[in-house]
Amino acid sequence: ENSPAPLPERAIYGFALFLGSWFGFMLYLIWAYVPETWLFSLGLTYWPQKYWAVALPVYLLVAIGIGYILLFGINMMSTAPLNSTHTITDSYAKKQQQKKLQEEAIPALRDIPISEVNRMFFLPEK
Amino acid sequence: ERRFRSASGQPIALRRRQHSASCRELAVRCPRLQLRSLSAVTSAVWLAAYGLFALSENSMVLSAAIFITLLGLIIYLHFVKVEQESLLVIGSLGIQVTSSYASGKESTTFIEMGRVKDVVINEAIHMQKVIYYLCILLQDPGDPEGISEVVPLFQSSKPRLDCLIEVYKSCQEILEQRTAPRVE
Repeated sequence: ENSPAPLPERAIYGFALFLGSWFGFMLYLIWAYVPETWLFSLGLTYWPQKYWAVALPVYLLVAIGIGYILLFGINMMSTAPLNSTHTITDSYAKKQQQKKLQEEAIPALRDIPISEVNRMFFLPEK
Repeated sequence: ERRFRSASGQPIALRRRQHSASCRELAVRCPRLQLRSLSAVTSAVWLAAYGLFALSENSMVLSAAIFITLLGLIIYLHFVKVEQESLLVIGSLGIQVTSSYASGKESTTFIEMGRVKDVVINEAIHMQKVIYYLCILLQDPGDPEGISEVVPLFQSSKPRLDCLIEVYKSCQEILEQRTAPRVE
């Protein structure tokens, strides 16, 4: 069965990810800070340009900042305008069938039309 | 005339007039243009223009700022600033919606009663708030069950729920006469 309890396999995956991320971080620091001549003298010549050691983090942070604004904008654009019928009903509510009322049973779930809801809320009970 | 508040807190006033048993007029009056906000905007624009003039030493900036302020004020009063929004419900004829702007312009829409399904208070998400607003549900004359269009009312004054309930009750009293059998 699926359970979130700790398992030996999960511990091993976690430790492997931990080692991998530390190795990646050390590699990034070495690439960014160690001068090129020292790396060439070791025989490691095939590195990307050091320009990217600064550019990639900046790109990432700007993308995250724009992502906040973009998400807000997408949400506002997807909101139905006040004059659209999507605020009142939708395709499922239009096609719903009227179920027969059975005595002594809980009535079936249905979408109540907005006129009925308004009358119930705002007109005083006669 | 009764005082209410709009959704953003501005004071608005509702006036109800009963012309006859099946004809009612409901008018919502928005607050007038405040002198302090007008002078604040004008001073801000002129200060910015003076700053630009100090940087660029070009005196056209100042005259352009005056021109822009005057033109902007005229456009705002004529197209944006709504002074009064009114709803005229005539029992067997239809519903007329009028918006009067601050410059005196009036824009009117008439919807015949055959197309009107109901007048309801709906709630929807608007900008970052959920607001109640009154709207007319229109139906196709050939399809009395479906809603073909939604016409929101009082868009500029945006009254709160207490004012909307008053308007809703008044409208429903007239609209109920459509289906109720006439008792002589």
